[in-house]
Amino acid sequence: MSGVKQIAAIIKKDMIAELRTKEMVVSMFLFVLLVMVAFKYAFGDSDNFSTYAGGLLWVAFLFTALLGLNRSFVHEKDEGCLEGLLLAPVDRPNIFFGKMIGNIIFISVVEIITIPIYIVLFKLSIQGSIALFAGAIILSNIGISTVGTLLSTVSINTKMRDMLLPLIFLPVILPVLAAAVVSTGGIMAGVTGEKLVNVFSAMKLLIAYDILFLLVAYALYDFVIGE
Amino acid sequence: MNRATELLEKEKNEKDLNPIPEVEVKKLSKTFGKRKVLNKISFELEKGGFLSLFGPNGAGKTTLIKIIATLIAPTSGEIRVAGMDPTKNSAVIRAKLGLISHSPLLYLDLSAEENLQFYGTMYSVPNLNERIDELLDQVELGHRRYDLVRTYSKGMTQRLAIARALLHKPSILFLDEPHSGLDPHAVDIFESLLDNIRAEHTFIMITHNIERGLALCSKAMILYNGQIVFYQGKEELDIDMFKSIYRQRVKGDS
Repeated sequence: MSGVKQIAAIIKKDMIAELRTKEMVVSMFLFVLLVMVAFKYAFGDSDNFSTYAGGLLWVAFLFTALLGLNRSFVHEKDEGCLEGLLLAPVDRPNIFFGKMIGNIIFISVVEIITIPIYIVLFKLSIQGSIALFAGAIILSNIGISTVGTLLSTVSINTKMRDMLLPLIFLPVILPVLAAAVVSTGGIMAGVTGEKLVNVFSAMKLLIAYDILFLLVAYALYDFVIGE
Repeated sequence: MNRATELLEKEKNEKDLNPIPEVEVKKLSKTFGKRKVLNKISFELEKGGFLSLFGPNGAGKTTLIKIIATLIAPTSGEIRVAGMDPTKNSAVIRAKLGLISHSPLLYLDLSAEENLQFYGTMYSVPNLNERIDELLDQVELGHRRYDLVRTYSKGMTQRLAIARALLHKPSILFLDEPHSGLDPHAVDIFESLLDNIRAEHTFIMITHNIERGLALCSKAMILYNGQIVFYQGKEELDIDMFKSIYRQRVKGDS
């Protein structure tokens, strides 16, 4: 029970700090908005934009998530707070789950605001199930946050942390990118039949990926956050 | 008195005479890559003792404290904290430790109360709100409890850091250059708090302040290049020898 309270306290602490500073969500939001405007200039009048709309959206979200993930441990490093947290009798995976859930919330908030803007800007629509679309996004966010939180913990203790995270994060996250594009792209296009099977296969891949990396993080976090 | 009672009595007397040291370090070494930061360090600190740890930057003082605090593992050697092995009982040991460092270990965008609530939850402190009230009164910050730490002066931040370190009533306190950056008022509060809690805590203090370090300690140690070059109890402390070694090793290096 104290483990759940500790995870909740870490999430609450991050939320309060973010509500006061607004530095993470606002910078993520502005970044993704600028990327969308750049896409509009580059592909705005393209007839077949809807075929690669999902891919571009997730490329934008991945780089936006990177911005947030890079910042996620900076507050912990400031004034030695990470050391204070590590000195407490907290199971290391609880620190991971607290930070990871916080990252999911931040990424999701940015997506909730920007997806409608993206749809309006490029005259798109979600022709499939909205619930399925939301499910695919949540599964993708879990994957991004799990791997991102784990790897940002690795990079925070290095001198080149801003450079290192993208270099180690992007290769590992490619399966999520592919599955997120197939699933959300398919749902937006309202595919049926065999293509709908592909959507479900992509979502199953996301579930498997999320479970695998949650287990990896649970098993390795003590070591990763230690020395 | 029968034989069993006699044996129990004898064992109790032996324990009273030779209590388990609060911190026991035997031939402890730590290597980072090819660099040997600690080299076969051995010492004991009794319960209620106060070890003042001196040495130049890079001598291994912080590494030693981090190993005792279970934050990093030693490369070789043995260590016992409150009779327990940190590699097997790290969470139990961490619950007994507090750290007052020159970094406050506080979240600047949270208020004093939010910081203490957060750390109190991490340590599962019972009756947390009462404990927070008590500590904020002790460090004279009750009137600023809802203000963000970012708005505090250095002295106020350090006083809050003291409250944070004492929140869970630790039995061993690490003080890592605790006087650094403190204004005279904060030093007074800090020293009076230290006096109040002196009897029920064991202290290990890293300091460059010889006068304060020697005044407070029950044992003094100088670390140099990962080795103990001076280690004496206060009763037998040879201050001239201490100062001569300190000058040679520490001042000569800086």
